[in-house]
Amino acid sequence: MKKIIDALPLVAFASLIIVLFSFLSDRDDQLETALIDSSFPEFKLGSLSDESRVLTKQDIIKLPALINVWATWCIACRVEHPFLMKLKEESRLTIYGLNYKDNKLKALDLLERDGNPFEFSIYDFEGRLAIDLGVYGAPETFFIDKNGLIRERHVGVIDEKVWEEKFSKYLNE
Amino acid sequence: MNKLIFFLLFFICSMQINVEEKVNFDNEAYPFVSEAQESLFYSLLNELRCPKCQSSNLAGSNSPISNDLKREVYELVVEGKSSKQIKDHLVDRYGNFIIYNPPIEPATYALWFGPFILILISALVIIFVRKRII
Repeated sequence: MKKIIDALPLVAFASLIIVLFSFLSDRDDQLETALIDSSFPEFKLGSLSDESRVLTKQDIIKLPALINVWATWCIACRVEHPFLMKLKEESRLTIYGLNYKDNKLKALDLLERDGNPFEFSIYDFEGRLAIDLGVYGAPETFFIDKNGLIRERHVGVIDEKVWEEKFSKYLNE
Repeated sequence: MNKLIFFLLFFICSMQINVEEKVNFDNEAYPFVSEAQESLFYSLLNELRCPKCQSSNLAGSNSPISNDLKREVYELVVEGKSSKQIKDHLVDRYGNFIIYNPPIEPATYALWFGPFILILISALVIIFVRKRII
């Protein structure tokens, strides 16, 4: 009995170490999303391709849709680009772009060169809509369901795996 | 005596060094009409966390997202919003993550009460062990 009691601190310490180590391998760096199940925020911003066109929430009409936050300074966005092109070809989703703090000419150049997966891109040079969406980097992607509610958010590159795990289920609703 | 010195040393070492971060801002970039608004603005920059560089507050960060958030906070302060309204505004968008002082709710119970439970367990262990030695 005494031996068991003497061993208790060691056992407790060992289990603490094991628990803490298991958290170390949990490399999920996604921040919580405050906007899940709320409707898309109101905004009023110009279009990337057409300076005279003012876009608002009412222009996002083809639902369900993805909103993809991108920029030419964002290398990961270029990695993601081919997948967005593929999504556009193969699914019934509409993809809207949110061009984030970017150079307009460079952004248009890139779409010209690599293809344009977006129905249109909102030009958010000052990061206004981005703040309302809780964006803190690029790429970030939001899924808007047929009722206009934000259902999912992913920070970082979307590839086949992320698509299957996080987004594809919403398409079958 | 030795015990007292040890205790004092321990106390001094465990004291938090709390130096208010003084960052030199370009005051012309953020003009205020009243001192109250100005001090609210700078205290909020110290209390809000930069979402990109997670170990730094807005005052200590110069990343693009921090500068956007400073502008957002500035505009809300000038509109006459209170400290609580501004924090709620940002929590609605970025979650509790953005404030360093998380609210007490089921997701944060471990954070708030964990240390006290650990102290309780340690106290019980010490009492138990001492009894056995005596």
